[in-house]
Amino acid sequence: MLNKLLFQNQNQKQFWIALLGAFLGMFFLVLSIHYTIMINEFGKGTDVLGPNTLMVQKKVTNSSTLNLTKTDFSEKEIQKMRNEPFIEDIQSVQSNNFDISFETSDPLVPYFRTDVFVQTVPANFLDVQTDKWHWEKGDEFVPMIMPREFLVMLNTFMSASGIPQISEDLAKEVKFGFKIWNPTKTEKVNVKIIGFTNEVSSILIPKSFMDYGNTNFGKSSEKKITQILILGKEGQFGLVEELMLKKGLEPKNAQLIVGRLKSVVGTLFLLIFSISLIAVMASFLVVIQYIQLLLTKNSYEIKTLLRLGYPMEQIIKIVSVYFVKIVATVCAVSYVLFLLLKLLIDDVFHDGGLYIGTDLSLSSLLGLLLAFGIFSFISNQSVKKEVRNLFD
Amino acid sequence: MDIIFKNIVPIPLASIKHHTESIWGKEFILKKGSKVLLNASSGKGKSTFSSILFGIRNDYNGELLFDELNCKELTNNEWSDLRRNKLSIVFQDLQLFPSLTVEENLLIKNDLNKLFSAEEIKEMIFRLGIGDKWNQKCSLLSMGQQQRVAIVRSLLQPFEWLFLDEPFSHLDKENTSICLKLINERCNQLNAGFILTSLGSNHEFEYDQEIKL
Repeated sequence: MLNKLLFQNQNQKQFWIALLGAFLGMFFLVLSIHYTIMINEFGKGTDVLGPNTLMVQKKVTNSSTLNLTKTDFSEKEIQKMRNEPFIEDIQSVQSNNFDISFETSDPLVPYFRTDVFVQTVPANFLDVQTDKWHWEKGDEFVPMIMPREFLVMLNTFMSASGIPQISEDLAKEVKFGFKIWNPTKTEKVNVKIIGFTNEVSSILIPKSFMDYGNTNFGKSSEKKITQILILGKEGQFGLVEELMLKKGLEPKNAQLIVGRLKSVVGTLFLLIFSISLIAVMASFLVVIQYIQLLLTKNSYEIKTLLRLGYPMEQIIKIVSVYFVKIVATVCAVSYVLFLLLKLLIDDVFHDGGLYIGTDLSLSSLLGLLLAFGIFSFISNQSVKKEVRNLFD
Repeated sequence: MDIIFKNIVPIPLASIKHHTESIWGKEFILKKGSKVLLNASSGKGKSTFSSILFGIRNDYNGELLFDELNCKELTNNEWSDLRRNKLSIVFQDLQLFPSLTVEENLLIKNDLNKLFSAEEIKEMIFRLGIGDKWNQKCSLLSMGQQQRVAIVRSLLQPFEWLFLDEPFSHLDKENTSICLKLINERCNQLNAGFILTSLGSNHEFEYDQEIKL
């Protein structure tokens, strides 16, 4: 009976407009949170370099060939770039300053040997398990990450020699070795491939092995820094790209494409997120204004109930719970529709070659619950204030 | 619960010169269980008096006490509690819910304390001669019929004082008498008092006390 009395003067048109606004706001909020997270996570774990990481070098031009411009990086240059607000970290890529060759050392695989160029990058830039990425003198093998194009070259050689080719998985099981030497001594160590990369053109080895080689077999001349690793901040790829253009730096094309793609789609969803946040706030305002309007229209009934002895808290509870239930329903409907639309959107991304994660993100649900919690709190406060004002 | 008046003068009536018999600005006590008639002509503040006693208005100078409780210091919750258990009222403008039926208007009040069954309430309504209106919306009733609904509503709770603000203004002598009898019975049952405001008539009832404005 109290419900009949308190909600009798409802304007159906205003009511449905308020609900539609709340529904659209909630729906786009959950959608944008989910896809912003998924886009940001895109690329993680697919390669050895972490997401938002670029390995770059200076562009080789005619003037650099004639020694008129430098292709190496000075510490000052690196520090200046490190100070840019959109840069998370910059580290130099260390190269070998000793002679090293790579060879097969497995009886099941024909002998193959080639001089190689090895590099090492700080462990925090790599997306590999740190316990595997470790070497010290006396260890059974040196872990290495091989460029996929190197494996393609190896297989081309094997195919041409009439030898069966090897897959990535098999390559991880085959025994390889490094031979390092200088004019006075030579040393052989076993090598195990632990991963492959499209992003780096050289063989990657742990820093401890690089230091060992440079210390014990190194040549006297100091090695210059010709490559650096840039870790950009999330969603600021455009600024990183601008800096590279300004400084005449070039990354591997694959990294550039993924970075740009993530940046574009990520920015798009961030934009939708911002708009939906404004829409949610606006819809909350509309719903709260509707509550206030309803209470004003029913002020006679509320006043009379208070004069009859109904406690304020009881009336506040009835009105608040009524609207909290409605917004909870709106949230639930928004989430169900999001789940249905997600199936479609995931397919669209998949067909377009953007293999983002299809799991449900907890953050989108938490975002929805947070918005619901904020609404419940604000509406309760608003109802309290209005009912208190009506108490004689 | 005694009602103690200490020099109360409503602020809007402060500039008016009151009659020597007027209670405004005087100290006096209304003893628990008293049947009081408040007689005054229009504009002297009868409704203001009821509103002050019921906590609807507090724009007055002086002090109003329920035993030791100072009315100006009561919280909203304390007023709600008083209105539920110790004070009841028939408003001059009745304050029924026009969109609800007679039954709903009465049950909404009875739900607060659940003292009566629907049958018992219906019996009271029959006694006041409007039993056939039980399922009718209050907006469709005459003023006299509405006054009787409001009177029954005021009796559906425990109270120590019942304030009746010109409750019989639209009733004939016979119906007034029936209503007063029911009110008196209920007050006696609860050992409660009432204050009846009137425009001059005593409605042929013997009061314990008569006050003027």
